[in-house]
Amino acid sequence: MWNQGGYSESSMGGGYTQSPGGFASPALSQGGEKKGRTRATQIIPCTVSQLMSASQADEAFKVGDVEVAQVTIVGIIRSTDKSMTNIQYKVDDMTGAPMDVKQWVDTEDPSVDSTVLPPGTYVKVSGNLRSFQNHRSVVAFSVRPLEDMNEITSHMLEVVQAHMVLSKPQTMLGAGGGMSSNITPVSRPGIMGGMGGGYAGANDMANNGLSANQNQVLSLIRSCPDPQGISIQDLKQRLSGISLTIIKQAVEFLSNEGHIFSTIDEDHFKSTDNDD
Amino acid sequence: MAGILDVPKSRINCSMLSQHISRPVCFVGRVEKVHPTGKTFTVSDGEGKVATVELNDPLEEELSGIVEVIGMVSNKGGIIATTYNLLREDKGLFDLELYNEALKVIHDFPQHYPFEVASSG
Repeated sequence: MWNQGGYSESSMGGGYTQSPGGFASPALSQGGEKKGRTRATQIIPCTVSQLMSASQADEAFKVGDVEVAQVTIVGIIRSTDKSMTNIQYKVDDMTGAPMDVKQWVDTEDPSVDSTVLPPGTYVKVSGNLRSFQNHRSVVAFSVRPLEDMNEITSHMLEVVQAHMVLSKPQTMLGAGGGMSSNITPVSRPGIMGGMGGGYAGANDMANNGLSANQNQVLSLIRSCPDPQGISIQDLKQRLSGISLTIIKQAVEFLSNEGHIFSTIDEDHFKSTDNDD
Repeated sequence: MAGILDVPKSRINCSMLSQHISRPVCFVGRVEKVHPTGKTFTVSDGEGKVATVELNDPLEEELSGIVEVIGMVSNKGGIIATTYNLLREDKGLFDLELYNEALKVIHDFPQHYPFEVASSG
């Protein structure tokens, strides 16, 4: 009955519905709701140069348009300095002077000494960007030595990809999953093939917590001007690359989340958002 | 040595050497031949092109595998090395061709992978 081989989305239809956990639409920022603490909802691959050049407003850092709080960098340790309470590294990723990285140590843990990494070790640092008296550093919760040096390559690519995708304006993916025209020009079909028209893989990067398919379905429903809404059959016709089952699953999910509602019958839907 | 480590060192391959004369660079490549004197060796990049690396102090042991060289590009298009380190391959071979593709990406998008530090506010 249902497509076994494909795609396991959260809702199954029929009487059984399932929302993804307590927070229905994760990180849906409607015009900047401010919470007390920095909303570090993402960990962003960066270069040392980006961290040093980031602008700062109160506690928030920005690399261009991209807010950065939790970051990862990949570089080689140039120096190590261990004290009673912390280990300080200088990590060089070639984009500028080595970055200060501080890692707090658990003084009660006897294995701490063995975790101090010597200069010349390539590492991936995960932590928070901090500025103290105009001096930038990363307070790390993880400093992991690289075992496969291809991680250097993958980090370079991830930095470009993350900053490119996060720099685009906060709009939904357009109908059909094409890229917004504001993206910087892409010219290499060989490498960046996925970034062209068929960029449906932006699952993790979509700003509204919906998958690519759900976004496409929602876009089409939103764009329909008819008062009775758009039918499932129309959706299937317009989204020829997506199976009817998946469209139905997406519609079910969007309806449960409150993004759409049915109109004249159970096959016609309109969007709850008024963005004409 | 400290000086060059504290400035940006552009990651480049052989094709980009001519655009980086007298500038600090980081060159990753496979060691090809070590000169008998140990003072120079050749490296190949992900496109198969070859560059010459000159050392201030001769090598004391044989060098092989993937090396990351930091130094200045000479007028002749070679690299005068300040320091180098071998990239370990015990837990996986390094894909030099893929690294070369990544080089093209970061040079195509310098706004997302800057080799300079803009003065921050």
